[in-house]
Amino acid sequence: MRQIAWVVVFILFALFGLPFLLERGWVPLPSHSATSYWIGIFTYTVIYSLVTLGLGLLIGRVGLVSLCQFMLLLVGSWAAVRFDQLWPWLPYPAVLLVAGLVTGAIGTLIGLPALRLSGLYLALITLMAAAAITVLLKVQQFPNGGGGFWGVKQGSPISQISRPSIALGDTAFYRYCVCVAIVMFLIAFWHVKTKPGRAWAAIRQSEATALSAGVRTTVYKLWAFALAAFFAGVAGGMLASPPGVNINQLRTQDSIAIYAITLVGGVYTLAGAVVGGLVFRLVPALFEQWGIGVEWFTILSGVGILQVLLTAPGGIAQQVPHDFGNLGKKLYGAVTGKNRAAKAAAAAPAPGPAVVSSVEAVEPTS
Amino acid sequence: MPSFDDLKPFIVLGFALGGVFAMQGVGLVVLYQATGVLNLAYGAIGAAGAFLTWELIDNDLGPHWLAYTACIAFAGVVTLAYGWLFGPPFAARDPLVKATATLGLLLILVGWMQWHYGANAHGFKLPSENHYITVSGVRVTYTQLIGIVFPIIVTAATALFLRKSKLGTAMRALANDREITSMLGVPVRRVEAVAWFGSGIICGVAGLLLSQLVGLDIVTLTFFVIAALAAALIGQLKSLWGTLIGGFVIGIVQSCLATPNTIWANSGAYRTMTPFVLAIIAILWVARKRQVVVQT
Repeated sequence: MRQIAWVVVFILFALFGLPFLLERGWVPLPSHSATSYWIGIFTYTVIYSLVTLGLGLLIGRVGLVSLCQFMLLLVGSWAAVRFDQLWPWLPYPAVLLVAGLVTGAIGTLIGLPALRLSGLYLALITLMAAAAITVLLKVQQFPNGGGGFWGVKQGSPISQISRPSIALGDTAFYRYCVCVAIVMFLIAFWHVKTKPGRAWAAIRQSEATALSAGVRTTVYKLWAFALAAFFAGVAGGMLASPPGVNINQLRTQDSIAIYAITLVGGVYTLAGAVVGGLVFRLVPALFEQWGIGVEWFTILSGVGILQVLLTAPGGIAQQVPHDFGNLGKKLYGAVTGKNRAAKAAAAAPAPGPAVVSSVEAVEPTS
Repeated sequence: MPSFDDLKPFIVLGFALGGVFAMQGVGLVVLYQATGVLNLAYGAIGAAGAFLTWELIDNDLGPHWLAYTACIAFAGVVTLAYGWLFGPPFAARDPLVKATATLGLLLILVGWMQWHYGANAHGFKLPSENHYITVSGVRVTYTQLIGIVFPIIVTAATALFLRKSKLGTAMRALANDREITSMLGVPVRRVEAVAWFGSGIICGVAGLLLSQLVGLDIVTLTFFVIAALAAALIGQLKSLWGTLIGGFVIGIVQSCLATPNTIWANSGAYRTMTPFVLAIIAILWVARKRQVVVQT
């Protein structure tokens, strides 16, 4: 119940609080850039958090790693622009849906090898697929909008689909993206909480056991890939709206980067996806505005990934509340003088905490 | 169908290109076989070494040969340091986790290079760039020749080393089972250190050559490892000779696709897909009979 309250507060803040504060300049962000700049950054954050959502589900719930998720985002953009050119009468939500479905189909296709591969080989085959699709899209002059499905317009490197008529302004479009993201997160939440989530958990623990328990591993593995790709595709559709995508965004290495950031954000919680989106787009922007240099962000994320793999499997989303909780307890103890009792408890032979932390690492809580 | 004579120059070029893929691919497989770590930072380490060389040459710090040695030594030391620090804590983890951890090193190195050297391209020229031979109308520089010969020598030497020497046997045992190997009295950490340092040295030489063949650019050199991985995957991440041959096959196919032909008019545009498509085919071929992967 408390969790739901937190989520509602967070959503309300994202929808109304943040734009309100930004427009009044009350947010302690570097002030020398315009409000629309930060609204744009937060829009990107929302879009990327859908990519980390899908990837986090794959890694954390099913135990499969895909290194082509950023590429699928761009495939979504490409599909959105193409279908928008082909059927200009298509309403915006329908464009997003079509982009999601097309990307979902492609994602399933890439996921097919997952039926026989796992671990490193699966990650590498998806990376190879991402690299190959990069070349394909480049030859097709991604996402250059001309008439029809294959049309190409010369001399315009940036292509876009117009924003929905109810959300033409920057802030309105940001809110629109948040709403789409809420729907996607709900879909993910529903999956995790119901039958697919249980099937995925079984597959992650042991595929052979899952199979013997009657879980249709083929269907659920492919479904996970399709779902992750669908999220990326819908995000890609929103990415194709102004300011739009361009050919310079076709970089295979971004798929590797978003994998790293997803791990840093946290793959065992849905909140980790939001953190991932923030880390992927907001933090570099802050670094840039503070004059620290984006390079330091790259270095920090390198350190972050080592840290996550070594000591904090839950990523920022689990580690930071955990650490702050401990800190709070310590402070509370220091203030009230109850720390002696806590120390005595810690000094006693306590295998408990270690076991609990490892269970936390294995058993995802949402 | 283009005749063989038409293809000849492209095949020569293909060998030169294939050497580039094979070089890094072989280095990746050597380390993977010895330690179970697929070092995704392989390109970044070589790139950082090459930039160090450029810095030394540009600032006239010492003779040129020293700058080249610095690149190789740097790569060796960085790889060794990473292996020494992060090898043991990850030793019992899944190969995927080990590979992901090297992403951390990759990001740190890329960030450092971008901060220290900036994104603008620099360049230096190895002396081997100034000499060339002509094979069927194609000019092949000495760098390219070294690029073809170097992976072959590395493959042969490593294969021999792993098979014949005591240390090589220990390395193979280590790759098989770390725990049992240590029970048998093999100094596990020392043997691993040799593997890391050796692969780092190969990485440094490859970085130096690639800075000439591909260009001294942070992002290109760092992520060239993706294409090199394709060669390693053709060798199943196991076979050094397979990787070597895979590298050359990729190079030749990619180069031949650039030939003007009537069968597939636009083949040239798609030719950079070659490594990835071939790698995908190779992986699928291995996986064709596998049903359920039971993890122990």
